[in-house]
Amino acid sequence: MLEAPIDLPGAARFLAQTTFGASRAEISRTQQMGVNAWLDEQFAMPLGTSHFQWLKSKGHDNASLIFSSSAFDYTVWRAFLSSPDQLRQRVVFALSQILVVSINGVNSAWTPFSVGNYLDVLGANAFGNFRTLLEQITLTPAMGDFLNMRGNRKADSSGRVPDENFARELMQLFTIGLTELNPDGTPRLVSGQPQDTYDLEDVTGLARLLTGWEYAVGFDGAPEQYATPMFCYPVRHETGASSFLTVSVPAGNDGPGALKLVLDALFAHPNTGPFIGRQLIQRLVTSNPSPAYVGRVAAVFANNSAGVRGDMKSLIRAVLTDVEARTVPNSVESGRLLEPVLRFTAWARAFGVTSPSGDWKLGNLSDPSTRLGQSPGRSSSVFNFYRPGYVPPNTSLAAGSLVAPELQITTETSVAGYLNFMQSVVGNLAGTTGTDLVVDYTALLAMANDTNALAGEVELILAANRLSASSRTLIRNALGQMPITTTANLLDRVKVAVMLTLASPESMVLR
Amino acid sequence: MRRTTGLSIAGAATPWAVNLAAISQAAAQSATDYKALVCVFLYGGNDFANTVIPYDSAGYAEYGAIRSTIATPRASLVGLSSLNAPGGRQYALAPQLTTSPSTSALALKSLADLFNGGQLGVLLNVGTLVRPTTKAQYNARSVLLPPKLFSHNDQQSFWQSSRPEGGTLGWGGGIADLVASGNGKSTFTCMSVGGNAVFGAGNSTVQYQVSTNGAVAVNNIPRSNLLNPKLYNSAAAATALKALITGYGGANLLEQEYTRVVARSVEAEETLRVALGAPLATTFGSVDATGKAIANPLADQLRMVARTIKARSGLGAKRQVFFVSLGGFDLHDYLPQKHPLLLQQVNDAMTQFYAATVELGVQNQVTTFTASDFGRTAISNGDGSDHGWGSHHFVMGGAVKGRTLHGTPPVLANNGPDDVGQGRLLPSTSVDQLAATLATWFGVSATDLPLVVPSIGNYSQKNLGLFV
Repeated sequence: MLEAPIDLPGAARFLAQTTFGASRAEISRTQQMGVNAWLDEQFAMPLGTSHFQWLKSKGHDNASLIFSSSAFDYTVWRAFLSSPDQLRQRVVFALSQILVVSINGVNSAWTPFSVGNYLDVLGANAFGNFRTLLEQITLTPAMGDFLNMRGNRKADSSGRVPDENFARELMQLFTIGLTELNPDGTPRLVSGQPQDTYDLEDVTGLARLLTGWEYAVGFDGAPEQYATPMFCYPVRHETGASSFLTVSVPAGNDGPGALKLVLDALFAHPNTGPFIGRQLIQRLVTSNPSPAYVGRVAAVFANNSAGVRGDMKSLIRAVLTDVEARTVPNSVESGRLLEPVLRFTAWARAFGVTSPSGDWKLGNLSDPSTRLGQSPGRSSSVFNFYRPGYVPPNTSLAAGSLVAPELQITTETSVAGYLNFMQSVVGNLAGTTGTDLVVDYTALLAMANDTNALAGEVELILAANRLSASSRTLIRNALGQMPITTTANLLDRVKVAVMLTLASPESMVLR
Repeated sequence: MRRTTGLSIAGAATPWAVNLAAISQAAAQSATDYKALVCVFLYGGNDFANTVIPYDSAGYAEYGAIRSTIATPRASLVGLSSLNAPGGRQYALAPQLTTSPSTSALALKSLADLFNGGQLGVLLNVGTLVRPTTKAQYNARSVLLPPKLFSHNDQQSFWQSSRPEGGTLGWGGGIADLVASGNGKSTFTCMSVGGNAVFGAGNSTVQYQVSTNGAVAVNNIPRSNLLNPKLYNSAAAATALKALITGYGGANLLEQEYTRVVARSVEAEETLRVALGAPLATTFGSVDATGKAIANPLADQLRMVARTIKARSGLGAKRQVFFVSLGGFDLHDYLPQKHPLLLQQVNDAMTQFYAATVELGVQNQVTTFTASDFGRTAISNGDGSDHGWGSHHFVMGGAVKGRTLHGTPPVLANNGPDDVGQGRLLPSTSVDQLAATLATWFGVSATDLPLVVPSIGNYSQKNLGLFV
């Protein structure tokens, strides 16, 4: 397949869509390889150490830690910041924001193992098939605890009825959404009105079908329990006839069989391709894709051209190699605001962040006053950190009917907290975070006495050359007033170049 | 996918916005006192049935039957001494709203005490509606219903803005639009300490978000209290940082909006820092049964609201709308284990906030009300409840007609007259009516009411009589 060659800024831009951040060396290498070869290489990468294995190897299964969630943050930051299969990790992060489990809402022992296993399941299926992914996440103890599928029981004489939480969110958030869609993701209107995909009876009917599930047999409370798929107790499963949407399940059904029918139906629903595809585009490329772009991606979900529905590799490649992803847009409506997690990791990975001890004790960075205002796997609910359809009030975006999910967590508090956190870590990562994490500014130091070289290199690495002329001037004028005499002077210049670049709005919006 | 945003109109060139400005001017001229409205949003859908509990024997029997394993024992309840008994009904508040380790430790009242003292009213069976709706109409779907019922994010949005998710105009913001020009700085008209919510977004009013400790200052940029800062030992870099983050002049809409938030943050911090004085004497917080301090995010937020009200003259604020919130109410399971702590947090935070308004002498000028996505099913799923609709809520303040059960007591029964399935209540009072009542108290005239509550014309009762 012939592919137009990309330049260095193009490679930097591509890596901002596909990784947690890239060094100058990686940008250069990618520019040489080209987009498709880079994707091929990433798709072929083996799974690394699982979160579960790493947590055990580091002794986070010590009995004293049974109710601590901290180690989850360590393993997640470790994987996102250092794992070589960066595309898989980015897709895991994207999927974790659609098929949400938040450790803040999992009430069990050993939550790092439980939610770490959830991420392992996302990783194992990120390049597989969406139908398999759906089934495997449904049976994780983490999802069972988060949305109450675990312990969901059939109705009985005490008056109890099945728990509807997972049934509702499985449809609303994980597969078909609330509104019937055209293949291009636009709402299917009848007499000008959007059509609901399901109603309350569908939720109730689906909840009946999802009854009976519990932790696997032989539960002994060890961390391994939380990485073992759930088991359906026949006596707790509603065997009576049930129906939801167009699915009728006859009496005498069993839990696993019912689950398969449910997931087959939701997977086959025409909404699922555009619903999931559009959100994947929003996580990786842009907030407001054209309907045509969504349609092209949804078509690949429906059929990867080898007759397979739900092929994740083809879906991801379609999202990233589409002309709208590969072309630098020139509309003022374009782009996506990089979420705080990605802005932080972009800086850290640009400068080779390492944890010499291998402990990666970075922690929960959720606090908007003093940290990033976002931390992986720690959204406040199943609705993620922000909604795919968030429209910021009182804005030109609203007037243009554009969405900007990441603006939902951009507040007067969080913007200040973010700038302060970044000032601190750019200056002293280990000291600020109380960890042994360090970055390496050596390459920049070598050119730090040359204002234009320094500023240009930083802009390429952190902003794919997106800065405006006036931002460039501001940064270079400030650098121009800083001495270049001592090593300490040069290090200050590096920090100033880095901080001013990443504080610029142009570096925060990927387009 | 492009969405239209209905009533949201941006830009000052539209006739409607010009009309608002004129109304705003008129309202400003007549406002000489201070008023504040405080929305306490309980995220997840509060379980009303275990919050305001039937206490008369017939009512309790009904409640016990439908709630079975998750019912609160009658022996642990104390009946409210209400001035009225609609339909012969008596109610009690949950134990955590009647006594709390925190309130006894800090010698402050509980919500039940405030009710009995006349400073708190209960509004029964209120929920999202487009127009008054009977059970027959609901079953036949013969009237317009709120879209996306029972969906968290859409009902949160509908409670706050009469629109499902994607709505950009809240009725708190709508109220603020009409009174903001009486304030010295419009930035502080609508403030949220409880996160981003559409409630405070108006046509011209922008909700300003602040942390529980006040505005966060950006480090190492020139400020009134930091005249010669250095960024990594460079004064030039510090000045450049401020210019970069506040002075974006490009055309990309996302970059513009991001910069607007930063610029607002930097500017507001200057004013708020100067205006916020010494803390109040009233203590905020919760303790457990042993007296040990426990986290109470709602108390932290209401403390900040109280500090802001104390600073009102420094902020030039005559009319303010506040938003605070507490999460965790979506108790599909662990309801008996988790609901009590949440209710304790609500009890302590709200009673302490009332005490703070007394300390500031503004208790008759500040009205606080609770809100939530929806109520929950009265029938349990074993250890919790599922998404419902109508719910009971509180209205608190010196101007409130307290010690009163407002609205119509619902029958709690499967297939009962108020039931739309599993003990979900069909609301007998609409959020629209609550919003209109609060707006009227706040000073919005009858002719302006539809600007705040577009559907108010659908109701013959536009004022619920919640105020003295």
